Amino acid sequence: MSRPPAHSLRALLLAASALLGCAPLEAAEHPVVIVIHGGAGVIERAHMTPEREASFRTGLGAALDAGYAVLERGGSALDAVGTAVRTMEDDPQFNAGKGAVLNHDGICELDAAIMDGTAGRAGAVAELHHVKNPIDLARLVMEKSPHVMLAGQGAEEFALAQGVVLVPESYCITPERMRELEEEKRSADAREPTAPLPMRPSAPKGMGTVGAVALDAQGHLAAATSTGGLTNKLYGRIGDTPIIGAGTYADESCAVSGTGQGEFYIRQVVAYDICAMMQYQHVSLSRAVDTMIHGKLKRTGGEGGVIALDRDGNIAMDFNSAGMHRGVRDSRGRREIAMYRDTN
Amino acid sequence: MYAIAIHGGAGAVPRATLSPQREQRYRAGLEAALDAGYGVLERGGSSLDAVTEAVRMLEDEPMFNAGRGAALTREGAAELDAAIMDGRNLRAGAVASVRHVRNPVELARRVMEKSRHVLLVGPGAEEFALEEGMALIANHYFRTPERQMQLECEQRGERVSDLVPPTEASEPPGGTVGAVACDAQGHLAAATSTGGMTNKRPGRVGDSPIIGAGTYAKDGVCAVSATGHGEYFIRAVAAHHVCAAVEYRGLTLAQAIAELLHEVLKSLGGDGGLIAVDRGGHIVMDFSTEGMYRGARDSSGRRELAIY
Repeated sequence: MSRPPAHSLRALLLAASALLGCAPLEAAEHPVVIVIHGGAGVIERAHMTPEREASFRTGLGAALDAGYAVLERGGSALDAVGTAVRTMEDDPQFNAGKGAVLNHDGICELDAAIMDGTAGRAGAVAELHHVKNPIDLARLVMEKSPHVMLAGQGAEEFALAQGVVLVPESYCITPERMRELEEEKRSADAREPTAPLPMRPSAPKGMGTVGAVALDAQGHLAAATSTGGLTNKLYGRIGDTPIIGAGTYADESCAVSGTGQGEFYIRQVVAYDICAMMQYQHVSLSRAVDTMIHGKLKRTGGEGGVIALDRDGNIAMDFNSAGMHRGVRDSRGRREIAMYRDTN
Repeated sequence: MYAIAIHGGAGAVPRATLSPQREQRYRAGLEAALDAGYGVLERGGSSLDAVTEAVRMLEDEPMFNAGRGAALTREGAAELDAAIMDGRNLRAGAVASVRHVRNPVELARRVMEKSRHVLLVGPGAEEFALEEGMALIANHYFRTPERQMQLECEQRGERVSDLVPPTEASEPPGGTVGAVACDAQGHLAAATSTGGMTNKRPGRVGDSPIIGAGTYAKDGVCAVSATGHGEYFIRAVAAHHVCAAVEYRGLTLAQAIAELLHEVLKSLGGDGGLIAVDRGGHIVMDFSTEGMYRGARDSSGRRELAIY
């Protein structure tokens, strides 16, 4: 995707000032920061092998560093979250893009959203079958269409009109996800067919959603999220990821990306509500996130986590599930990747 | 106190172009839906049943942009969105881009009550309708000559909007419909239904089926249904913004809505209107456009219908 000229200009100025001996990143009052998640659906520690854990860490690290590199070059938060999420979409370990979970019919149905906190602009796509990087299409919806959300065939029609090359449905299907679908179908058959609520979907298989939030040198925030949704989901089901305010939200002071049982996130308007609590009740970001994850969400039975970032560079990564794949990197030298409750 | 408010869209409703006969028909359509919804509350029914009933009647009324008489996509088809939310337990149901369901608000309610999901779209939503034993109907049912004409107008002028458009035709069609209610038990509910923008791109989803944007209800706080330029309402998380301002900042409902419409949405460049009711049964109806088709009725004797 071509960058807007303003960004190139900014990058040029930053490069020039760096040549002159200035250090624009260190000079800023706030650090540049990126926080990512690879879903709240981690494998129970007892079942995690050292090889798989290392592989997840490598995948998270690659996305974290790719996104951070954008910020380090003076790039925008919007470009940074797009890059980090795209990297995880391309990594088949995560439930987004290639390797997304399969719906009841055995195909991927992909959703994504991106939001620019400064301009309050947003783009979202849902029910994609043939788009390699849904996050890039969400950004095109934001920048090249008068709409915020496009779904299904209409969204793919828009992709073609924008010159996006479509890929076959088979692109995203992996043997691992096919096995998971078989297992889920067997256990769904064994379950009571009635009793729709309360729902306990197939966590953790559906909770590998990926997302990123970032703060750039200009103090701008952005958020992005991408997912394949739930294994064995009903054809046409949309979760919280592409719903602005539920799974993805950014404004001038707060950016949030969520992962978990989407229906609960929609009903609580999780991402926006965290920002609203912070701004209106004057509580810290981590307090607002804590109230949401361990209070409001847990009370209604919702499981999952969020990553969040405010304009001063404060971060929160919290979850009420067994774990959450996550990482943070900032210009003060912090670089962490973690999966379980303790910090590793 | 129990109360219900309804809307039939906000937008340019120039008095000069609305003939007395047409205005009479709008008022009659609003009145029938208002009284039907109020009747549910009067009989001790729930706010959820009241908003479902009012919206269902507005969907069946061809003058409004929902159900029969919905705006057409650029391919000339009706694509319908709807949502409903129960303030008691924050349960919600929504459908988007359905083409063959007579009353989308009823399908949204089934999604809430019979599925483990909140939002279903397109053919998947219709598959669920069939599984629920709902009859599908031909897309042709929704199409009216007025909407056909409106589509042709828009396609010549290249303008797309959810707002009731200014038109040279003497019969300006109505907009998105919605209802909010507070029942005798103090439970709140909201519902919204729409055909979206005329000449919209197939697959475009507006704010109506987005919980928090076009529709939201939370007991003890408020219930909101919005109508307007959907993209801006999504970006502002409009309906939840109003509830958050009431709950967290202690603003009155009227202050919260005024701030949203005249500051937040205005700064983004979006227009429209909202109806809302708070836990005390107080109704607020406000808009930043020339007019909004609307009505309110409560157990203290308030009963009003208005357009401008």
